[in-house]
Amino acid sequence: MADSSQQRASFDQSLWLLTVGLAAWMIPGAGHFLVRERKRGIIIFVVITTLFVLGLYVGSIGVVDWVGGRIWFYAQILYSPVVGIIGNMTKNGDFQVFGRPSDIGQIYTGIAGLLNFLCILSAVYMAYCGRGQLIGHEEEEDA
Amino acid sequence: MLEGLVLAAFTSPIEIGTTPASMLWMFPLLAAISFVYKATKMRVLFFKRYLLESLLLFLSVSGFMIMAIIVLNLVCWLITS
Repeated sequence: MADSSQQRASFDQSLWLLTVGLAAWMIPGAGHFLVRERKRGIIIFVVITTLFVLGLYVGSIGVVDWVGGRIWFYAQILYSPVVGIIGNMTKNGDFQVFGRPSDIGQIYTGIAGLLNFLCILSAVYMAYCGRGQLIGHEEEEDA
Repeated sequence: MLEGLVLAAFTSPIEIGTTPASMLWMFPLLAAISFVYKATKMRVLFFKRYLLESLLLFLSVSGFMIMAIIVLNLVCWLITS
């Protein structure tokens, strides 16, 4: 009986961590929002989205290129699944980009993806530690 | 009309020359890295302290990058002169 309830609790915990991780990937900062770290979530969303949009503005959506720039694409896709849709739009090579704008655009969007990966790990770790469930309210009141 | 202009801005790259001034594009990136890193690292987010620590990290990383640029330029100058 105790074994069964322990298994259920472990399954619930895994499902919760998966939900937080997926939310953090879908929308940057959403994982922290779920664990009641709202200020962190807003900061992460604003900064990472600004960085990603700035990268697209500098180099055009052509910097998301999963045919010619696959390694960069692996970093960019960590920003959000939306990058996959952009990659699908640019796969025919209609948005060619070269030179310095291409470099800066790829670096900005790639770093935005990698920073979001850091935030996904941070949100999942906070959820694993029980942040938001146990001490989230007290911390918000202190802050 | 406005939507068209906004979308058009993302379909063609802006002009950036291969000049030393293009290195200034690293600063927004360093600022973003500093703000996100500190947002994930600080246990409790006190706003003033967060801003101060992010600024300090941004300044120290920027300083390190500038020093690296100076050293690399010196090495190039020594090799080529």
